[in-house]
Amino acid sequence: MSNFLNQDFGSDEEDDDFNPAPAEDSDVEDAKPAKRRASPEDAADDVKYDRDDAEDDDAKDDDADEGAEDGDENGDDDEDDDEDDEQAVERPRKRRRGGVHSFFEEEAGVDEEEDEAEDEEDELAEFGTEMHPDDLDALPAGAETDDRRHRQLDRQRELDATMDAEKQAQMLKERYGRNRAAATDALVIPKRLLLPSVEDPSIWGCRCKPGKEKEVIYSIQKRMEERPANSRNPIRLISAFERGNIMQGWFYCEARRQADVTDALEGIAFYYPSQKMTLVPVKEMPDLLRVQKSEELMPGGWVRIKRGAYQGDLAQIEEVETNGLNVTVRLVPRLDYGMNDDNAAMLGPDGKRKRATVNKVRPPQRPFSEAEAKKKHAKYLSATSGLGGKSWSYLNETYIDGFLIKDMRVQHLITKNVNPRLEEVTMFARGGEDGTANLDLASLAETLKNSTAEDSYQPGDPVEVYRGEQQGLIGRTVSTRGDIVSLQVTEGDLAGQTIDAPIRTLRKRFREGDHVKVIGGSRYQNELGMVVQVKDDTVTLLSDMSMQEITVFSKDLRLSAEMAADGQLGIYDVHDLVQLDAATVACVIKVDRESLRVVDQNGSLRNVLPTQIANKLAPRRDAVATDRNGAEIRNGDTVREVYGEQRSGVITHIYRSFLFLHNKAQTENAGISVVRTTNVVTVSARGGRPTGPDLTKMNPAMAMQAPGGGNPNMPPPRRAGRDRLIGKTVAVRKGRYKGLVGIVRNADDTTATVELYTANKPVLISRDILVPKDPISKQTLDIGGGRPGSRVPSYSGSGAQGGGWQGGRTPMAAGDSSRTPAWGGSSSRTPAWGGLSGSRTPAWKNDGSRTSNPYAEGNRTAYGGLGNRTPAWNSGSRTPHDSGSGYDAFASGSRTPAWGNAGAGNRTPAWGGLPNSRDQRDFDDAPTPGGNYSAPTPGAYGAPTPGASAPTPGAWAESAPTPGGAFSAPTPGGLPKRGGYDAPTPAAFDAPTPAMGGIAATPGAGYGDDDGGPRYDEGTPSP
Amino acid sequence: MFFLKEETKVITMHPSYFGPNMREFLIARLNEEEEGRCTGDHFVICVMDMVDIGEGRVVPSSGSAEYTIKYRAIIWKPFRGETVDAIVTSVKPTGIFTLAGPLSVFIARKNIPSDIKWEPNTVPPQYTDHADQVIEKGTSLRLKILGVKPDVAAINAIGTIKEDYLGPL
Repeated sequence: MSNFLNQDFGSDEEDDDFNPAPAEDSDVEDAKPAKRRASPEDAADDVKYDRDDAEDDDAKDDDADEGAEDGDENGDDDEDDDEDDEQAVERPRKRRRGGVHSFFEEEAGVDEEEDEAEDEEDELAEFGTEMHPDDLDALPAGAETDDRRHRQLDRQRELDATMDAEKQAQMLKERYGRNRAAATDALVIPKRLLLPSVEDPSIWGCRCKPGKEKEVIYSIQKRMEERPANSRNPIRLISAFERGNIMQGWFYCEARRQADVTDALEGIAFYYPSQKMTLVPVKEMPDLLRVQKSEELMPGGWVRIKRGAYQGDLAQIEEVETNGLNVTVRLVPRLDYGMNDDNAAMLGPDGKRKRATVNKVRPPQRPFSEAEAKKKHAKYLSATSGLGGKSWSYLNETYIDGFLIKDMRVQHLITKNVNPRLEEVTMFARGGEDGTANLDLASLAETLKNSTAEDSYQPGDPVEVYRGEQQGLIGRTVSTRGDIVSLQVTEGDLAGQTIDAPIRTLRKRFREGDHVKVIGGSRYQNELGMVVQVKDDTVTLLSDMSMQEITVFSKDLRLSAEMAADGQLGIYDVHDLVQLDAATVACVIKVDRESLRVVDQNGSLRNVLPTQIANKLAPRRDAVATDRNGAEIRNGDTVREVYGEQRSGVITHIYRSFLFLHNKAQTENAGISVVRTTNVVTVSARGGRPTGPDLTKMNPAMAMQAPGGGNPNMPPPRRAGRDRLIGKTVAVRKGRYKGLVGIVRNADDTTATVELYTANKPVLISRDILVPKDPISKQTLDIGGGRPGSRVPSYSGSGAQGGGWQGGRTPMAAGDSSRTPAWGGSSSRTPAWGGLSGSRTPAWKNDGSRTSNPYAEGNRTAYGGLGNRTPAWNSGSRTPHDSGSGYDAFASGSRTPAWGNAGAGNRTPAWGGLPNSRDQRDFDDAPTPGGNYSAPTPGAYGAPTPGASAPTPGAWAESAPTPGGAFSAPTPGGLPKRGGYDAPTPAAFDAPTPAMGGIAATPGAGYGDDDGGPRYDEGTPSP
Repeated sequence: MFFLKEETKVITMHPSYFGPNMREFLIARLNEEEEGRCTGDHFVICVMDMVDIGEGRVVPSSGSAEYTIKYRAIIWKPFRGETVDAIVTSVKPTGIFTLAGPLSVFIARKNIPSDIKWEPNTVPPQYTDHADQVIEKGTSLRLKILGVKPDVAAINAIGTIKEDYLGPL
């Protein structure tokens, strides 16, 4: 408290600063409400207080402080405890006091100035007189008799006298200046400090005749003039007001006591004294006087018509009369020009004109057409030419430029939440090139702004303050409270600061090129696009979906993080394929709020509801079709129509023989068009499928073989399960242990652990140089110990046959299909088997276990007969080719030469027989085992092979014998080494190739992937 | 704008490529896969050189080997405000579609000077000011990129020719 006093003293002595009083009071807890209210408005009081204090201060410092403090408190207590008394004393001052100011600032201002004027001269005198009531109490006992204050006063006067007028003016200005500021600009004083408190006069609500509130107020005003404050019987009302339509039948009086109100209202016309007046709670006082700014109607603004023929129609304000009650609006006429009111002209039986049927169809909005009006209603039509051009008078209404110009009362207009829609507004556009050019979008935006929803600003939106003090600020919204938006300034001097701004001074800010989404308020809702033009409040964007320009208000836009996903309706999205009925599918080209626009497989457009859609077809990534040239086309390929419009596009959907293409450069149908597969040719395939580089060219192995027809050497597939070599008796072909015989104890892909008979210890020997032997006869065996690859030729003696179908395959560079004839051949092999079995059986019997066990599928099928073998072969041979994945390197084409050149008779069947061993084949050093195993083959089976081929011819025709002969001869010779191998091979091939050519080609051509099975079946029975 | 950017890429090699020419295969593969690629952010124009070809690591269970290659490439990242030359690919009433190298740029009607008008009756249709400026398919344009919209594996841009020194060349 002492703090507070001291401060005030200091400032008072210099007479320069009353202003801090309110603010500082709030800091000092002890300061009582009375003091708190001792705001600058109440200068007189303050001066008085301060004078007291100053004197005390001069005289006896601390003691005086205490005294003053006591005095203050006493005064406060008075106010608090005994309001009536206090009011009696204070009223004269109160009238000039702060409480009122919070409501009637202008009056207060005037009041102040009056005060100033009158106070200037007799300021001190007035203080003197006013000092008494309070200060007598406030001063410590004996203060009245103390002349210190008189002396202080004298000194003060002297000081004032010596001060020049200018300084004095300055001082006064400082002292009261702020009040004027407060009176003129409410923004300077924080509003909360102006709010009424319990200390302020109360407000009573009184009843009167509804509609006569104003008159009551006028009479009160008159009465106050008649009985001013200084009269004998003053009206002790501080103010009186009414709230018009909002509170009909009520008016409000501000006074200290209820008795004052009753007194003042006595005999006022239309006042209902019998109804109890209500005291307005302090909290609700501000609400009473909250001004709802009446809608200010501006020419160019938009309103709606409340009733009548144009009910609900949008109208543009042409002119507002100065009284603010009558408005001239412009409307789009709804006229039928007498086309429908024939009956209206008919006379009823009573001779009176019948009323036109009430529920007549409302004519659509159309610009006024004098031509139409002349048809039937020429008599009602008259032309008047005014300054601005020709106007028509029709049925007592004025039409200019096709619009109806109508005078209306404001009451008949809806001025709030008009929400003009762009399409409505476009009707008002006069002669614009595209309908929007001439549109006063600014005024439209203005109207819309009044209805701006709070949620249209969301944290993070880039905004710009475009009017008001902070015009030009650019920032991002941080939060929104009601219609106040906090924004963080991002550019300029204030960057980084957070500033509050009312919504109506803001607009969203977009740059050209921003990717935005329309969030509401227009029919383009949910459209995504890129901003191409920004002009004040309107933003033109280019829709991603339709590539069309859309003009919307910036408030309806948001920056969009979404990529190309356009509006969705439930689960349906643009470019989705949907099933409409069993026979119809369609592609969604537009998603409206309730419906979808689709283009069906026949190319026709329709609007469908989501409920009409049977289901959405999930995109099939593996969908394949063939184009006009028979080339494979898939989703994502770019194709072009051959005939017609030569449309081109990227395939988005394949449905049976229809393709849905998407072309970005096409605006209609969201870029979607429908074509038939037979009418398109591939332009480019996705991922460069056909056109792309052939990876096989990069494969060193292939590169090696391809040019010179070198050794292709397909690696034999690895066999699953236990190695068949294990447990076999083998002889070592070369190396250190050459000629020794032993039993294989263990084996892996490349080596075998052999327990030699001689050394009786296991040695590790490359299995390449091991030759399986019959443990008894010591004859070389192929099957049992060998890898599957080597087994096949040996068992079937199919050196011949192998060659035969090898020949068949060779010419067909295209893998699978080329093999087919071979199978045709193989089926013919079966009888050979049958014929041969007798001779071969003993050999087989040598190793009983081998007969069934060692034979993998390939071999076994031979026994099982054709039916079995075919599928087995089928799967075996084809699988590796079909499964593209790791296998591309070995595209069929590249394999062919390998086949052709190798003494592939050995290997092929192996390969086919064991599909699982694909990988192995890749890795293995292909040629080595092949060479090895082929060696024994002819030895063992050279004899039977021709035999086998001999019976075959019936089924086999040319090819069978040819290779048989050719092959059997060269094989033994060529086998041991690869080099030798090469030589005979061509011989073998040359022969069969042409022979088989015919056969091979046929199946090959018709060979779909999946048709393989049936083909075989056909082939099978033929022999 | 063009940048020289150092990037890394992991290339998986099938075992059949293992051999003396592996390095060449790797480089060929890298060039093939990277050059012309669009990341959604930029286009890889050209692979300049290999900074480092890491040691291959055999991937268990498949036998393929992974090589981590560090390379430098010239990339092009289109920026808003960048001026580029482009070739018109098609003209529509709504605007002009152009290709600036790999980047497709759309020039909306609003961004075409008002004196250059849509003329649908000529063959082929064109935008023209009925003087020396004719924009039809194949015309070279100088345009300024207004906005760039990155996509998963593509970039779409819009541009303007409604400024000084922009338009048909």
